[in-house]
Amino acid sequence: MNRKKDKGFETPLFLNVLTCYVMFIPHTTHQVVCINNINFQRKSVIGFVELTIFPTVVNLNRIKLNSKQCRIYRVRVNDLEAPFIYNDPTLEVCHHESKQRNLNYFSSAYTAAVSAVDPDAGHGELVIKVPSELWKQGDEMNVLKVYIEFSLDQPKGGLHFVVPDVEGSMAERGAHVFSFGYQNSTRFWFPCVDSYSELCTWKLEFTVDASMVAVSCGDLVETVYTHDMRKKTFHYVLPIPTAASNISLSVGPFEILVEPYMHEVTHFCLPQLLPLLKHSMSYLHEIFEFYEEILTCRYPYSCFKTVFVDEAYVQVSSYASMSIFSTNLLHSAMIIDQTPLTRQCLAQALAQQFFGCFISRMSWADEWVLKGISGYIYGLYLKKTFGVNQYRHWIKEELDKMVEYELKMGGVLLHPTFGGGKDKDNPTPHLHFSIKHPHTLSWKYYKMFQCKAHLVMRLIENRISMEFMLQVFNKLLSLASTASSQKYQSHMWSQMLVSTHSFLKSISNVSGKDIGPLIKQWVDQSAVVKFFGSFAFNRKRNVLELEIRQDYTSSGTQKYVGPIKVTVQELDGSFNHTLQIEENSLKHDIPCHSKSRRNKKKKIPLMNGEEVDMDLSAMDADSPLLWIRIDPDMSILRKVEFEQADFMWQYQLRYERDVVAQEESILALEKFPTPASRLALTDILEQDQCFYKVRQGACFCLAKIANSMMSTWTGPPAMKSLFTRMFCCKSCPNIVKTNTFISFQSYFLQKTMPVAMAQLRDIQNLCPKDVLNFILDLIKYNDNRKNKFSDNYYRAELIDALTNSLTPAISISNEVRTVDNLNGDVRLILEEITRSLNMEKLLPSYRNTITVSCLRAIRMLQKNGHIPSDPSLFKSYAEYGHFVDVRVAALEAVVDYTRGMHRTSPSEVSRTHPIPYVVHKILSMLGKNPPFTKAAESPLCNEALVDQLWKLMNSGTSHDWRLRCDAVNLYYTLFGLTRPSCLPLPELGLVLNLKEKKAVLNPTIKPEQGPDTTEMTGITMGVHIPGLITMETVSSVSMSSGVAPPPQGLKRKLDSVVGPLGSSSPEPGQVLQEEDTSKKFKIRFNTVEEDEIDMESPHDSQAFIHHHLNILERPSTPGKEPPAVDQAVLSLPVTPLPSSFGKESTSSSKHSGDHHHHHHHHEHKKKKKKKHKHKHKHKHESKDKERDSHAFSNSPASGRSARSPSMSD
Amino acid sequence: MIACNDDEKNDEVTVHFLFLKDDRSRSGCGKATSSPAENYQLARRRTLQVVVSSLLTECGFESAEKATVESLTEMIQSYISEVGRCAKAYCEHTARITPTLSDTVVTLNEMGFNVDTLPGYAKRSQRMVITAPPVTNAPVIPKALIAGQKRTHPSHIPSHFPEFPDPHTYIKTPTFREPVSDYQVVREKAASQRRDVERALTRFMAKTGETQSLFKDDVTAFPLIAERPSSIPYLSALLPSELELQTLEETDSSEQDDQTDSENTPVNNLNDDPGADKENSVLLAGSVVPLVKVSEESMIDNPYLRPVKKPKVRRKK
Repeated sequence: MNRKKDKGFETPLFLNVLTCYVMFIPHTTHQVVCINNINFQRKSVIGFVELTIFPTVVNLNRIKLNSKQCRIYRVRVNDLEAPFIYNDPTLEVCHHESKQRNLNYFSSAYTAAVSAVDPDAGHGELVIKVPSELWKQGDEMNVLKVYIEFSLDQPKGGLHFVVPDVEGSMAERGAHVFSFGYQNSTRFWFPCVDSYSELCTWKLEFTVDASMVAVSCGDLVETVYTHDMRKKTFHYVLPIPTAASNISLSVGPFEILVEPYMHEVTHFCLPQLLPLLKHSMSYLHEIFEFYEEILTCRYPYSCFKTVFVDEAYVQVSSYASMSIFSTNLLHSAMIIDQTPLTRQCLAQALAQQFFGCFISRMSWADEWVLKGISGYIYGLYLKKTFGVNQYRHWIKEELDKMVEYELKMGGVLLHPTFGGGKDKDNPTPHLHFSIKHPHTLSWKYYKMFQCKAHLVMRLIENRISMEFMLQVFNKLLSLASTASSQKYQSHMWSQMLVSTHSFLKSISNVSGKDIGPLIKQWVDQSAVVKFFGSFAFNRKRNVLELEIRQDYTSSGTQKYVGPIKVTVQELDGSFNHTLQIEENSLKHDIPCHSKSRRNKKKKIPLMNGEEVDMDLSAMDADSPLLWIRIDPDMSILRKVEFEQADFMWQYQLRYERDVVAQEESILALEKFPTPASRLALTDILEQDQCFYKVRQGACFCLAKIANSMMSTWTGPPAMKSLFTRMFCCKSCPNIVKTNTFISFQSYFLQKTMPVAMAQLRDIQNLCPKDVLNFILDLIKYNDNRKNKFSDNYYRAELIDALTNSLTPAISISNEVRTVDNLNGDVRLILEEITRSLNMEKLLPSYRNTITVSCLRAIRMLQKNGHIPSDPSLFKSYAEYGHFVDVRVAALEAVVDYTRGMHRTSPSEVSRTHPIPYVVHKILSMLGKNPPFTKAAESPLCNEALVDQLWKLMNSGTSHDWRLRCDAVNLYYTLFGLTRPSCLPLPELGLVLNLKEKKAVLNPTIKPEQGPDTTEMTGITMGVHIPGLITMETVSSVSMSSGVAPPPQGLKRKLDSVVGPLGSSSPEPGQVLQEEDTSKKFKIRFNTVEEDEIDMESPHDSQAFIHHHLNILERPSTPGKEPPAVDQAVLSLPVTPLPSSFGKESTSSSKHSGDHHHHHHHHEHKKKKKKKHKHKHKHKHESKDKERDSHAFSNSPASGRSARSPSMSD
Repeated sequence: MIACNDDEKNDEVTVHFLFLKDDRSRSGCGKATSSPAENYQLARRRTLQVVVSSLLTECGFESAEKATVESLTEMIQSYISEVGRCAKAYCEHTARITPTLSDTVVTLNEMGFNVDTLPGYAKRSQRMVITAPPVTNAPVIPKALIAGQKRTHPSHIPSHFPEFPDPHTYIKTPTFREPVSDYQVVREKAASQRRDVERALTRFMAKTGETQSLFKDDVTAFPLIAERPSSIPYLSALLPSELELQTLEETDSSEQDDQTDSENTPVNNLNDDPGADKENSVLLAGSVVPLVKVSEESMIDNPYLRPVKKPKVRRKK
């Protein structure tokens, strides 16, 4: 891999680490991926890849590739059968040292596991031994062709199948499949070198049903029918060198729309959505034009495809010459709120096409450059399309978000450099995960990372000007496109990879400026700056004495030294001052330009040249200062807490034209509940010219102020008369005008005001009756018949307003909530909610926004004790088959419920169809709103939960990096870094470890554990939770199976029980099975009930958590149920070489005979890791592995595998 | 006058018939339920039947079918009615309101009846005397609808002249109520109407289908229509409902200011359904006059619109 050498030149830091690997890494120049069978029924894929490898060293004897999940049938190198081994340490991170339960330990083990297969370091899960006959060829540097046949069965990562359960053919049902993943995840669906820095050209072939379309990267060369005319083969060629990680695929019965302005752009959507697609895509060409213009560079690929899929992993994912979007971004012309969001997603996707897909990164440490540039040019698009106000608002929002995260969690490091001394190995000790690899990052951290990256790009722009910035981008792009047209010469292709070093070099070449300090401060260092500012005015000297202090001791902060801009608005005008923040100087004297003179009536010039009349009566007679702003341009990644008088904030709000300043002053005014603040906010609300988001913010601030001023408040409730004046009929002020929504600013204000008003409280801390009736009237008189826009978002916000108006019920002790004792107002609210929710069933709103709001409202009613707390409603809405927004809202309610630790009943949510996005949401919501934290004692915090969560992150989520990191996050939130306190003292565990290391079967502890913990919970919760009980039975069964090899029958039962949890559509037999179990437990229940009722609360909430975990608990690699024989049969028609059949099927049948040996595998693997020579060459190793992985649960293995021929020679 | 005539005849004619009995009994049954006005009419009609029957006997018939008697009764009734109507018309023609004898005579003459023969006929020997119809309350003439204020006579018209009729008969006739134009009321009404419809509909759906409840004690309070998982949930969530589409069409037809729409429509037609056109373009390749649309279509060179190739025959080697 020559690029490693290149990198060595450019970033010397890497040199010493990497040189040792360079010797072993060959370079792939071309790869063929051919998938010749996609079976939607079985959710399986069969195909082969062929990599053309250019050995850069003599004596190339091993080739390492990345592959996860794939079942590999055979590997041939230049037509010679090659032995291979398959070892994926990330499948199970910590082996049987499982008693550790310590996150520090896990994180380091996980990092080690990921490093062990890191393609950037030349590693991989799949190691192929080059046949010795070819070694000589290596001498002559001839290319090697590595041919790998593989299949995927029910993949859990990499490819996602969506198969709706309705009548009809797959095409009629709208079944589709698409690739997904977080960072480089292509290895999940075909063997490759899964690195962003490994570029090669591609030939992609997909044979699909004639009614389907296969969309992939590159140019569609031709589509050919198969001989039986029932299938089509799509031939794609991608001549531009591209990393495997940027390859994607989606297959489905898509409707096709050719972009009318640019015929090389094609859009695909699911059946029936074409009208929405037409509308949503109607402005894409503008985005294209914008980027091409600012970058002065053509779009690099010869075509572009957008595919809209259901159950998408993320809203937007970009791949070479195509992007996969969530179908939920599509909207019709009637929808207001979604329109800008969809446009933004498109713009993001397109920005990533240039930087991220076409230009790839040299290494993970350079990721920030790509994310930064694509985020930055996306920002430019925002500025151009949505205006400067929106842009500045966005920048402030991103900055605040990032600063908040860093202050809370510790710094975000853009450019981690590893490998100095051993001590400096972990540059971010404050984090509970390693940032060495993208795959170990917490999702939230990665989001903030992207955020910071584009903010830093903006800082660079501030420093060197936008013109130079764009020139740099243009330079990068033109170098890359020159390189891309070259034939394979690795040193040329490396021009298509960007590194921090090369980026900085072009900046200094183009601009001639040294941005070293800036990079050092924000890129090489983590954390942000926290300023505290205050001032005093010295009348004698006519000087402003400004004091700026810094907090650089608390976590996530750093010290800033350098210039800072301060803007002072005086009576005579606005003046910018640049101060130097130095080590010890806190005070800065700023001379004022104007004498105080408030008697003269004169217009006051503002920053933008405008001159305005002001009522100066509020200000201090002696001081000419109107307001002061620190770092107004956000050119430091900082948080500023500045103190100035309330009237100064009010002036700032009224007269400063910058939206950021306005928003800052709104935030500050919350602390000054005075009539003057009220007036200033009301004035802003009424001002049409003011940015609508500022006005929205003013609404909420006004509500807060009104609440603080409760006793002195005069007149009608805040905003009521304002709303009446703006949106109600002139003749009858209690009736709202019929909706038109022609002016979007008014529309957004109209939506927000009721929500803010509902936050008002009277002296009894209730929502004023006036306000509630007002909102109810708004709902009643809402009339959308004459409107060309949909009012779904507006109605949803009105429901939100009702939710906001709720206050805790006056509870009479221990009273059960019934219909009769429902408070009158609540009854009205409930009436509205019921009606709206019911109407949604008949006339569903766009994205079911109203259902979502209603669910939130019902949860709020429960939480406040108006109606009995009961999660069953939410659980039913959380089931598969509802719109994803609804599911997430329902799950949020359930999570919230779990936190409340109420008594709970069944959680069927675990049968959730495993849509990665939804599972991700569950985990992150649990993390955000945890049922307990490490600080607090909780009955939920027990050993079983720890075990379950541990299992989840250890092995249950190996198919999705993001999920695993989510699980780690949750574990961290719940238990912290160290060993959870609820666990017994570790001594016993350590002994156990030692024993296990020796691979001695330890029957005493584990079987005990099974019945003790799991069954106990099982029984207590049994009746309520059939789903859980099955899982529990499964685990106890598998535990007992550890002791003795299970009989075949038992095994089968196990599988069938696991079945319904894993598959979306349980077969009849499986359902029966489950009912049986629940019945069985029902009988038990009768005896337990009375005693157990009190116990229910902790247990049930716990059940919920268990449930979520159980969803994920399925084996990471598929292929457990249908035994290997089946698989072989399946492969029969496709495997091209008949000679291999015999071998294949015999060996696999042999295999199934060997069933009971599989549990020994883990021990085995561990040994293998330690001593390299004990390696399996058997090509069924991978299968072995896969079969095994579902037996990860405590199977104390004997450690000796009877038949495992070794590859070592 | 007609009434007089009738009475005269009734007084003179007296007859009884056997079949009359069931008739009475039948009507007796009906009596209880019928209104005074109906009773009045029934009695008259019955007398007419008696008259017809007696005349038939007079003419020498021994029996008659019921249907015949009915027909004859009908004829005689209509004859008498016509006489009455005409007489009334004559009298009104001469600006009176009560018919006089001469009006009747003229009428009878006009209808081709020789009045001179009437006295003779009335005094014929074999005539039968018929009992007078039972006394029933004369039907209350429903009060004429009084709409508006009747005008009083102007000074030059003596007071004994008839009153002015209702103004609506000669000034104007308001046949509908003035629509409520008060905006507030209209909105109020529309809102409550919509709410009622919605509530009724959802209640109905809730009653007829499965429900979920928020309360354990009272399952019927605030019933929620049970959620039903759909296999393709995004369709209903993303596609606008028919109702919304309808509204959109209405508003669009009224205002054509939507830029994107006007931009899009011609464009969209271009590639409306590529699948169909793909085949068309293949078919039409040899045809003489290619449509404009097809020629534009063929300009779009997009690999996904190209026809699928047939497999090569020799490929399998």
